[in-house]
Amino acid sequence: MTRQALLENTRMSIRSILSVPVRSILTGLGVMIGVGAVITLVALGNGAQKQVEAGLEALGANLLIVYSGEPRGTALVRTNTSNIRPTLTETDIEMIRALPPDLVRLVAPASTANAQLKYENRNIAATVIGTTVEYPDVRNFYPIYGEFFTEVDVESRRAVVVLGAQTYRDLFVAGQDPIGERVRINGIAFRVVGVMEEKGSTAQDSSVLIPISTFQRSVSGSSNYAMVNIQAASSDVMRELQAILERELLRLHRMPSIEAADFYIANQLDLLSTVQGVAGTFTMLLASIAAISLVVGGIGIMNIMLVSVTERTREIGVRMALGARGRDIMAQFLTEAVILSVGGGVIGVALGLGASWAAVEFLRTAAVATASSVGTAFGFSVVIGLFFGGYPAWRASRLDPIEALRYE
Amino acid sequence: MIDTMADPMIVFDRIEKTYNMGAEIIRALDGVTFSVEAGEFIAIIGPSGSGKSTLMNVVGCLDTPSGGAYRLAGESVENLSRDQLAEVRNTRIGFVFQTFNLLPRLTAIENVEVPLVYAGVSRRERRKRAVAMLERVGLADRGKHRPAELSGGQRQRVAIARALSLDPAVLLADEPTGALDTATGHDIMQLFHTLHRDGSTIVLVTHDPDLAEQADRIIRILDGRITDDRKCAAKEAFA
Ligand SMILES: Nc1ncnc2c1ncn2[C@@H]1O[C@H](COP(=O)(O)OP(=O)(O)OP(=O)(O)O)[C@@H](O)[C@H]1O
Ligand SMILES: [Mg+2]
Repeated sequence: MTRQALLENTRMSIRSILSVPVRSILTGLGVMIGVGAVITLVALGNGAQKQVEAGLEALGANLLIVYSGEPRGTALVRTNTSNIRPTLTETDIEMIRALPPDLVRLVAPASTANAQLKYENRNIAATVIGTTVEYPDVRNFYPIYGEFFTEVDVESRRAVVVLGAQTYRDLFVAGQDPIGERVRINGIAFRVVGVMEEKGSTAQDSSVLIPISTFQRSVSGSSNYAMVNIQAASSDVMRELQAILERELLRLHRMPSIEAADFYIANQLDLLSTVQGVAGTFTMLLASIAAISLVVGGIGIMNIMLVSVTERTREIGVRMALGARGRDIMAQFLTEAVILSVGGGVIGVALGLGASWAAVEFLRTAAVATASSVGTAFGFSVVIGLFFGGYPAWRASRLDPIEALRYE
Repeated sequence: MIDTMADPMIVFDRIEKTYNMGAEIIRALDGVTFSVEAGEFIAIIGPSGSGKSTLMNVVGCLDTPSGGAYRLAGESVENLSRDQLAEVRNTRIGFVFQTFNLLPRLTAIENVEVPLVYAGVSRRERRKRAVAMLERVGLADRGKHRPAELSGGQRQRVAIARALSLDPAVLLADEPTGALDTATGHDIMQLFHTLHRDGSTIVLVTHDPDLAEQADRIIRILDGRITDDRKCAAKEAFA
């Protein structure tokens, strides 16, 4: 078909579409809703995925954690390891610290225990985390008020404590300055040096942090560690680092295989890909549900186009009598179907983007409309117009001129 | 190249058209043989149901005969494909219908442009030719009107302009005055005479013996057969 004929067809189609405006809108409505739904639902799915990813990244960059005990599910982060017998030794920590800096950037061993906290007449249960000064950097978790404990605090086994945001709220009156106050942990007095930022995770917000040395002496009595938080030098070396850690720790622990070992290694990358996989499946599911409405929209177009071909049988006959070939008639009806479908698609894109924006603005959900989902939905509306307009257009093109002319 | 000057415009050789209606077979055309020379003005008459429209539709390549041979300007049309037939209708034939068959959403000019669109004529050229055609049928001032805004006679003029837009070899008119009152019918007839004088080959179906007498030749049909084919004496009066 020449450009000239295409232009003429488009003009003709727009005209016949505009001549029945209400019908045309109703016809395009199905595709409109379908495209809108695809874009909105994919945006919501993407938003959910981005949120989880952001949550994971907030745990700390390039994070690997070696835990004592056996693997438990896919959880990367187990803040509370209180009822696990710590199996990671000082030797293990030294081995890890000795790894080259292009593999390991920071190491923060930690142990935890459940303890009673008391301040004045307030009494609460909380998780006590004993760790080192690297912990904030490794876990991307910083004090918002006061300071974290220092190297000197660790070396001198000082009784200092940094409160989680929730712990602070539970023990203190709102606005009260806790720095320098004495909080009793299992009866031992600790001086408050800081308050951690709100992390949104109950486990971290409801904990308190003390130097590992103090922890080992006053709280647990064990010189082993429940876990080691490790920040890899980059995400590229995480798998290599995991393999090295596995090999070296198996050697130190004199154990034959990782399956039988008394430790396990959780890798942020693995978790991320698991989450992305789940979120991807979820998004696909939403998209397929929305795609069904697109198909229903397409069937609507087909239905109306069939009606339109029947109604305009005489017009088709006249055009054929004047020299229209089958493909001219076919092109005319196909163009009309595609314009209806694409028109619906364009409005659908606007609706979808509007709905995604509204979801963010008013419902405070995460919704990320991507160019690819807009492009795909739009492309689909073209394909649907061609596909579902194809059959009616083909029927029109195969009409016999004389019978079409005689049609009443 | 076919030497069109040597060949008659239309040659029908024992053309048949039968409709199989289950129990009975209707012979709408039953061995019709005749020819039309270039520049002739022919009237076809006959009672209702005698096969006049069927004949015109076959001549106009809208319908395919069940038997016999048809040559249009020396060229056999039996074995043409659908697309080739469309092209013949587009460029060789101008068809005028009793009920006008204008496209209601298009203006007069746009209606006249339709065959030009299918012939691939550029938009500007189309507009120019359509306006010229409307002028030729005396409707220069009604180009922007839609069919519903025109009288019956004006509509038929638009339809004639449309039929002429690609300068066809033959102008076929199936009862073009059938839906018009007598006076308007005469006006349309005058237009056909003008076109004939300018060289058009015209085949006209009519019920009106007075109108038929104005042609060069009258062919009478009955039950799908030609019963009479005679030159017309009175034609000089309208020349
Ligand atoms: N599609 C068809 N199926 C069956 N029979 C048909 C069909 N078309 C025409 N006929 C029959 O063929 C015969 C000739 O019909 P045609 O329309 O050619 O008559 P006509 O001479 O044009 O009549 P009128 O003057 O009323 O227009 C009629 O008997 C008609 O019933
Ligand atoms: Mg008839």
